Amino acid sequence: MLLIVLLAVPLAGAVILLRAGGRAAVVVHGLTALATLALALAVSVAVLRQAATLTALDGFLRADALSAWMVGLVGVVAGLAAVEAPHYAHGAARQFYPFFHLFVFTMLLAVTTDDLGFMWVAVEGTTLASVVLVNFERTRASLEASYKYVLICSVGIAVAFLGTVLVYFADVTRFGGAEHALRWTTLQQLAPGLPAPIVELAFVFLLVGYGTKAGLAPMHTWLPDAHSEAPAPVSAMMSGILLAIGVYAILRFKSIVDVAAGPAVAGRLLLGLGLVSMAVAAAFLWNPRNYKRMLAYSSVEHLGLVSLGLGFGGPWGVAGAVLHIANHALAKSVLFLLSGRIRAAYASLEIEAVRGLLARLPLSGPLFFAAMLALLGLPPFGLFVSEVMIIGAGFAAGHAVVAVTAVVLLVIAFAGLLRTLQRMLHGEAAGRGLEPRGWASVPMIAALILLVLTGLAWPPGLAGTLASITAVVTP
Amino acid sequence: MSDLSNFLAFLGLVTTLLMVWRQSRPARVRLLALQSLLLAAQAVTIAVFAARYGLLIVAVALVVVKAWWIPRALARMGEGAPPRPLEPGRSAGVRLLVAGMLVVGAYAIMLPVTASSALPTRGGIPLAFAMALVGLYACVTGRDAVGQILGFLMLENGIFALGLLAAYGLPGLVEAGVFLDVLVVVLVAEGLVMQIRHEHATLDVDLLRELRG
Repeated sequence: MLLIVLLAVPLAGAVILLRAGGRAAVVVHGLTALATLALALAVSVAVLRQAATLTALDGFLRADALSAWMVGLVGVVAGLAAVEAPHYAHGAARQFYPFFHLFVFTMLLAVTTDDLGFMWVAVEGTTLASVVLVNFERTRASLEASYKYVLICSVGIAVAFLGTVLVYFADVTRFGGAEHALRWTTLQQLAPGLPAPIVELAFVFLLVGYGTKAGLAPMHTWLPDAHSEAPAPVSAMMSGILLAIGVYAILRFKSIVDVAAGPAVAGRLLLGLGLVSMAVAAAFLWNPRNYKRMLAYSSVEHLGLVSLGLGFGGPWGVAGAVLHIANHALAKSVLFLLSGRIRAAYASLEIEAVRGLLARLPLSGPLFFAAMLALLGLPPFGLFVSEVMIIGAGFAAGHAVVAVTAVVLLVIAFAGLLRTLQRMLHGEAAGRGLEPRGWASVPMIAALILLVLTGLAWPPGLAGTLASITAVVTP
Repeated sequence: MSDLSNFLAFLGLVTTLLMVWRQSRPARVRLLALQSLLLAAQAVTIAVFAARYGLLIVAVALVVVKAWWIPRALARMGEGAPPRPLEPGRSAGVRLLVAGMLVVGAYAIMLPVTASSALPTRGGIPLAFAMALVGLYACVTGRDAVGQILGFLMLENGIFALGLLAAYGLPGLVEAGVFLDVLVVVLVAEGLVMQIRHEHATLDVDLLRELRG
């Protein structure tokens, strides 16, 4: 029941917002976002506290520990983005708010449905809801970004569908047709009997397809364009959680492939894609010119690292990857939201144009600095811990070469980002920029505090949560 | 049944190869409509011979969405633009050669799938997979927006044919969702292409090069 309400709220909000305008639209938007956040947290707590599984609609909707983790993340990041959204939507509220909440709805549906075929439909839905938002400003650049985004992601996701068809084929040929044949719970039970060659083949297609959505190189070409052209709150959601949903889909299928064909198959592929992604990102991050594209490429880097974590496997690899997804979501969404304020203050996306950020924006500037330190993986922020967990998992699994290469690539990206940050923060500031009222930054500060918590002192229950997520996906 | 479904799958692949060969955009759009009708015929064949009457609904949806509505949308996107690319591109011969090699590759990749299937329609499985691969090739080498979207739809049709021949189609709810998605993709793409034509007065997506690095 809770799951149905969780999905119904953003959907209903989107429908109402199609007709609402002006002040009413802002109110309905705020209430919808608040209710979505509350419900998402309620689902997370209900599942993670009691180590329970929520189901609805005869098992069609299902939230285990992994789903609950993702639902919580979607709620938090969407909440952060919703606070900033009114600065961007004014004037064209009906082209913004409905798609904002539709986007949230499709993401929540993707992580709460047990049917892997329907998950595919929802993931494709995320592209279609967000492309309208990417093209919100209707400039030539945003138009180009939208076209690439919808075409590349639709083709990528079509390849994932090919993989899904093959999994379904493997299931029904071996066990006969059933209505629930594509349910993840069914497949996990039957996994030991699924034919290995077909499942391996299917996983290649699934990894390429959902890897496109996850922004893994070399299928990442749409990402820097779409993430830099979208309005800041949309960039925050796309970078913070939409990429993670691609990883989520890969993780669900990986847990089946690991049983059917042994863990080495999927692991090797993930290690390869992870390293390529980190290398591509490091090459770009050495000398970026546009700060939103810089943040976008940094997402390619972090998702590559997550892919490595899943590839290394073992308790540390999976837990590190899942924790890193959350840490990255918090840091990156705060950074993208602040990038919107920087753009408003400097009227440019070029790094060259941004000087004296600390003086020009006395609140947003230091926040940007702190969030960048978090993103760089410095202690006391959580990304440091999850990076150590992932690299450690690599050594533990005997992939020392891969782990060392990853560290080298991390250092290159680190140096490039730090140099760029230095250039933006200091220098001559041409007067004070306009800051939103102080309370509007409270959610971002809260997100950064949460990041310090995952870095310094794990809140009670986090270790248990990570363990139960690992238990869901490792047989 | 085997013969009929193999023949239809073969014709499906032929339409895909013809789409690679033809330069004229309206002709390719007509071929896509024809291919969708062939898929519908395939669905009806399986519905009748294997008593899967749910597939009759799928066949109707195919005719309405993929053989009628989508070709009309594609025609609207290209309306008034020159029917073939102005500058001559790579020769059709090379493209067909690549497509032919993809067909051979498709047979090799699908060997384990065909071998483990016991359905009378299994003969068409590699043909359907070849349709998907050649569609992907057509999409990434498409020279204008309509060409790329056509390639995407060829890929989609190939995957659909694969699902039909290998597993008599997917569960109804998933199938319905897929139809909806393809419909919205074309709708969104139409909006974007119209805007591109308005801004740049061309269908040629190579001219889109604002975003670099």
